Amino acid sequence: MRRHDVLVVGAGLAGQRAALAAAQAGRDVALLTKLHPLRSHSGAAQGGINAAVGAEDSVDTHIYDTVKGSDYLGDQDAIEFFCSEAGKTVVEMEHFGTIFSRAPDGSLARRPFGGAGFPRTIYAADRTGLALLQAIYEHLGTEKITTYEEWDLVDLVLVDGRVQGIVAHDRRTGEFEGIAAKSVVLATGPAGRVYSRTTNSHSSTGDGLAIAYRAGAWLKDMEFVQFHPTALLETGILITEGARGEGGILKNGTGERFMSRYAPHVQDLASRDVVSRAIVTEILEGRGFPGGFVHLELMHLGKEKIESRLQEICDFSRNFAGIDPVTEPIPVSPAQHYMMGGIGTSIHGETNLAGLFAAGEAACVSIHGANRLGGNSLLETLVFGKEAGIAAAQFAADSPSTRVSDIEVQRTLGTVRTMMARTDGVEPLAFRAEIQAVMERRAGIYRNDADLRAGCEEISTLRERAATMRITDSSRVFNLNLTDALETLHILDLAEVILVGALARTESRGAHSRTDFPKRDDANWMRHTIASYRPEGPQLSYAPVAYTRWEPKERVY
Amino acid sequence: MVESVSVPLSVYRFDPGRDASPRYVDYRLDLPRHTPVLTALLKIRSEIDSSLSLRYSCRSAICGSCAMLINSKSRLACQTQVGPELDLHGRIVIDPMRNQPVLRDLVVDQRPFWQDYERILPHLVTDPRHPMPEGKPNPMTPEQVERFHETPRCIACGACYSACPAKEADPTFPGPMALAKLYRFVVDPRDGATRERLLRIQPGGLWTCLRCHLCTTSCPKDVQPSERIRDLKELAIREQGATEAGSRHAVGFKENLHDRGLLNEMRLVRQTDGVLGMLRQAPQGIRIAAKKPELLHKPRRIEGQEEVRRLYELLEDEEGGA
Repeated sequence: MRRHDVLVVGAGLAGQRAALAAAQAGRDVALLTKLHPLRSHSGAAQGGINAAVGAEDSVDTHIYDTVKGSDYLGDQDAIEFFCSEAGKTVVEMEHFGTIFSRAPDGSLARRPFGGAGFPRTIYAADRTGLALLQAIYEHLGTEKITTYEEWDLVDLVLVDGRVQGIVAHDRRTGEFEGIAAKSVVLATGPAGRVYSRTTNSHSSTGDGLAIAYRAGAWLKDMEFVQFHPTALLETGILITEGARGEGGILKNGTGERFMSRYAPHVQDLASRDVVSRAIVTEILEGRGFPGGFVHLELMHLGKEKIESRLQEICDFSRNFAGIDPVTEPIPVSPAQHYMMGGIGTSIHGETNLAGLFAAGEAACVSIHGANRLGGNSLLETLVFGKEAGIAAAQFAADSPSTRVSDIEVQRTLGTVRTMMARTDGVEPLAFRAEIQAVMERRAGIYRNDADLRAGCEEISTLRERAATMRITDSSRVFNLNLTDALETLHILDLAEVILVGALARTESRGAHSRTDFPKRDDANWMRHTIASYRPEGPQLSYAPVAYTRWEPKERVY
Repeated sequence: MVESVSVPLSVYRFDPGRDASPRYVDYRLDLPRHTPVLTALLKIRSEIDSSLSLRYSCRSAICGSCAMLINSKSRLACQTQVGPELDLHGRIVIDPMRNQPVLRDLVVDQRPFWQDYERILPHLVTDPRHPMPEGKPNPMTPEQVERFHETPRCIACGACYSACPAKEADPTFPGPMALAKLYRFVVDPRDGATRERLLRIQPGGLWTCLRCHLCTTSCPKDVQPSERIRDLKELAIREQGATEAGSRHAVGFKENLHDRGLLNEMRLVRQTDGVLGMLRQAPQGIRIAAKKPELLHKPRRIEGQEEVRRLYELLEDEEGGA
């Protein structure tokens, strides 16, 4: 039987930072990932990491910007802690070896980002996520931990409401195995593949969220889905906000710089939800380009600046859209980008289940509230990854050893064998596309009662068909058809939670925009949505938002 | 709408646990010319054969998962469009990467690649004489950041490792990616373990590299490993002197050209392998000499030899100043 003190699932920035903290606390730590750690989706983050280190900036301003950006749904105690950790987190990553871009005086270079009062975003060209991921991976290599690479998390094992470990699938051998752990940290990252048009990687299927949810963990604020304003037209590949931070501007089909009508003060650098809605409004009102997009112009920045500071963007545009941003505008439209919601946690990553912790995009602390600011998610992975790692290590130190019985493994294996034995039924990838289409149609940037109700009904019809899901590949080695099936079932559960939460929330706040309830409703809705699992569908309850110093105001940019 | 073209694909399939030998399966898809090869393969998975196995994740050339051979060239499937491949080859043949054993279909066992990566001590080692400033970032100028060249862009996809003939010929060679990574630490002003790193890559080290540049031409992120290996060779000679056959050969080559403008093969062998080494190679030398006796002659000095020397002086002045 495989057995560890702390088992971290997911090896992006949050997972690796948690594993590092737990190892430094002296525990026996294992890190499990369905990829290789360096292939995690954290590496795709482009723009930067926020820290108020400039002389003219302050931690308080960072807190205020984050609270305002969250449309007052972020927990202010968590945000205060989060922002006050930023400076030392960035310094630590620099000491681990991150190669940040530099100002002429040798200090860390900073760029302006949307929704921020000062240039606060520290960066490594336009590949900040990759730079941080490399550095933490290199540093974690100096600690003794066990790594399970290319293993899928399949199930959490709980006895009497307490985590005992997991059941996992080794892609290389095809084996299903139990791994016992005194505490488990879920850092499984995004769930963007709930939608078809997303900037997220193909692996971003919300495995940890769905598995925790079915095991009884609370999912918080899942209806808040961030759509990034600028994704490449066809592929949905991300064009960083840093492109606008460096001076890029958005223009509609008539050549107008339309953001001046929506955000007169900061224009193209308004908060992401504001810019995404503006783009969709332009398109819906007939001022987009045929095919439904707008232009992101960088040409006026000049070849040298574009090619040095936005090198990856140049490559993306040239390789994936056949566009040279030095001479032509980039066709962009919004795409799903980030889930503000996730597994509900405390500041220390604790969930409502004993021994279960979560961090990073899979978690909801909540610091992003109804809308996340650019540059805050990389910081979140590191700050709360560390907290979750410390707390999980402490929990493990105080706990008796655990075990995963073979019955648990056999039960999981039974489900898979049933899917493999079917000669008829729905194919995982085709079925996944159906779920994604429902979400694009019913729970996109603008929402309303009729669409969301229809979406809920469509998902429950799909749920009936999901019972006939079938795995056609019978090989044991790298059976991706098997992982397709497991991931598709995760997506189905999460789609339902998003729809039900969005239907219930009869207001517009941050990224959740209801055309039938266009105003924010603080009297009734300044509270977190909590979804808990029932076989017949999610049960919703609500929890208060934590306040410290900032009174809710109208959000104007 | 963008016009589609008919794309013939021939894809390597092999499940070692079940198949006696690999085979190619042909598919034909209608796709717009700018469609990435990865999209074509995913279309096969979702519409024709869900048992096709490959690694992929980000589809934007940043996770490094989908390196494979596309018409015999190591590259990322997500970054290679079908149109230009059809223009060049008429069809698209897909194989798994080389220099790593196949696990299934296009999935290779990357453990050798990662073991070679581990050899270079892949983490920052603080120079005890320059401890990290407490609570502050290390100062580093934009010029110092420039010195990393493109090595921080490496996404560890393994395309260079797959393309490398030196790796194929000599398994002790760490391969281009590990050496580019080594360079990344060597130029880091925060790092103090250059000497140890250079020792750790022995044997096989730097000098197995043939300077064929296939790593550089196959790199999807323009990391230019062969250029960085050249820089490391220069550094190794500066730091350690010409202590290995490879570096002695390089230095001997230079001295030959400096002195006469032509190679003196006899002298070069002696410089590279020493007198004993010469004796060991004598039988082969005699065989060669029987066919090409001119190799035994001491070459004459070429016309304009002074120009060659002046070029060397200029180069040395330039490097001394740098």
